[in-house]
Amino acid sequence: MADAMIRVQGLHKHFGTLHVLRGVDLAVARGEVVVIIGPSGSGKSTFLRCLNRLEEPSRGRIFLEGTDITHPKVNLPRVRRQIGMVFQHFNLFPHRTALENVMEGPSTVLRMSRADARVRAQALLDKVGLADKLDVKPSALSGGQQQRVAIARALAMDPKVMLFDEVTSALDPELVGEVLTVMKRLADEGMTMLVVTHEMQFGEKVADRVVMFDEGAIIEEGPPKKIFSRADHERTRRFLSQLHWDVS
Amino acid sequence: MGGPPRYTWRFDVVLENLPLLLTGLWLTCTLTVLCMLLGLGVGLVVAFGRLSRWRLVRAVAFAYTELFRTTPLLVQIVWVFYVLPIVSGITLSPFFSGLLALGFNVGAFMAEIYRAGILSVNPGQTAAGLALRMTRAQTMRRVVLPQAVTRVIPPMATMWVSLFKDTSILSAIGVIELMFRAREIATDTYRPLEIFTVVAVLYFVLTYPQSLAVNALYRRFRMQE
Repeated sequence: MADAMIRVQGLHKHFGTLHVLRGVDLAVARGEVVVIIGPSGSGKSTFLRCLNRLEEPSRGRIFLEGTDITHPKVNLPRVRRQIGMVFQHFNLFPHRTALENVMEGPSTVLRMSRADARVRAQALLDKVGLADKLDVKPSALSGGQQQRVAIARALAMDPKVMLFDEVTSALDPELVGEVLTVMKRLADEGMTMLVVTHEMQFGEKVADRVVMFDEGAIIEEGPPKKIFSRADHERTRRFLSQLHWDVS
Repeated sequence: MGGPPRYTWRFDVVLENLPLLLTGLWLTCTLTVLCMLLGLGVGLVVAFGRLSRWRLVRAVAFAYTELFRTTPLLVQIVWVFYVLPIVSGITLSPFFSGLLALGFNVGAFMAEIYRAGILSVNPGQTAAGLALRMTRAQTMRRVVLPQAVTRVIPPMATMWVSLFKDTSILSAIGVIELMFRAREIATDTYRPLEIFTVVAVLYFVLTYPQSLAVNALYRRFRMQE
């Protein structure tokens, strides 16, 4: 893939004696939406956290637009700026309002003036449908609203890639839709996205490609239609059938 | 006639010596403030030492807190006053010896309070800060510490209240605070019962409102969580 946004080669991660990632290879094209599925403990989240080096890879290399970001000399903050991340438990700053949460990156890190940061934050909160919640603290927002603030906060750094780590898993079912809608719009705008999720409908509608993790490795990948209806791998079919069984 | 002879309480003796007693009280207050300031500063440095990424720094900070937490305060104070000058060649007045010993003692306990406060902040908060391209220092300053402060203030206030009373131990090395003055006056006037009763009341009257304030702080900050 010539125009790869992200290219991962032979990624391994150990936690003590635990071998969590066992040689992951993946290339993601510019503007591509990759949905990552797999049973819990299969290394999906660790994989995402290695991509912006919240976890140190034990072995292997990661390239972002051709730059090796696992190189020891790499400017880590600069790398992280280009990769936005949204977490399962939102991790909003509880002592700051929604607006201040979104302004934090631009003003502290990008050294933007407060006025400029405010304009940018307002525009982003407007984009995720929270223009009326600017001065509200996270504790007064619903889970879905908090997660949308978290997406706006990540977007405020103007990233090239967005990582979503089970962002709807902690939400009440009726709040999932509003978050997925925001993510779908982002995908339509051409954002490169890696999405760890159990929302198979989202995968079906939005993903360009679905990647199946099992025991720290990618065992299968392909277009969503194929993976969801006639996966090659028996493990994938079993995983998906269990999911559907859980829902109904 | 049975029973012991009746004791005649002479509180007028205390009243006569009240100005002297109050100079002692003034020094008690001064010492409390200075020891607390020293302890707050030392504690912060040691707390970051304990959370350092370098093993040696962690070990030194750990040894420091354990040393101060596992020896009696009186022993620490006497050691700094009598032994330190001989070991180091630096002679300090009772006041400065006492200030150092008690301040560094408070520092050890404060370090634990800070550390617990910092560690109580959800690790996800640090991850979120780093993911926004903040440096570790920025994440600590702008994300973790503001949240740790509200959890640290109540135990810090408890520390303050016990420090206020603990300054009385410094009378053992001749720091002329409230307790020292009391013993002095008691010896001069042969009226220890009255003097020490009044001193006990003074400590109580001054400590109790502080203790109430601590309880109020606990309630206030618990509600914020």
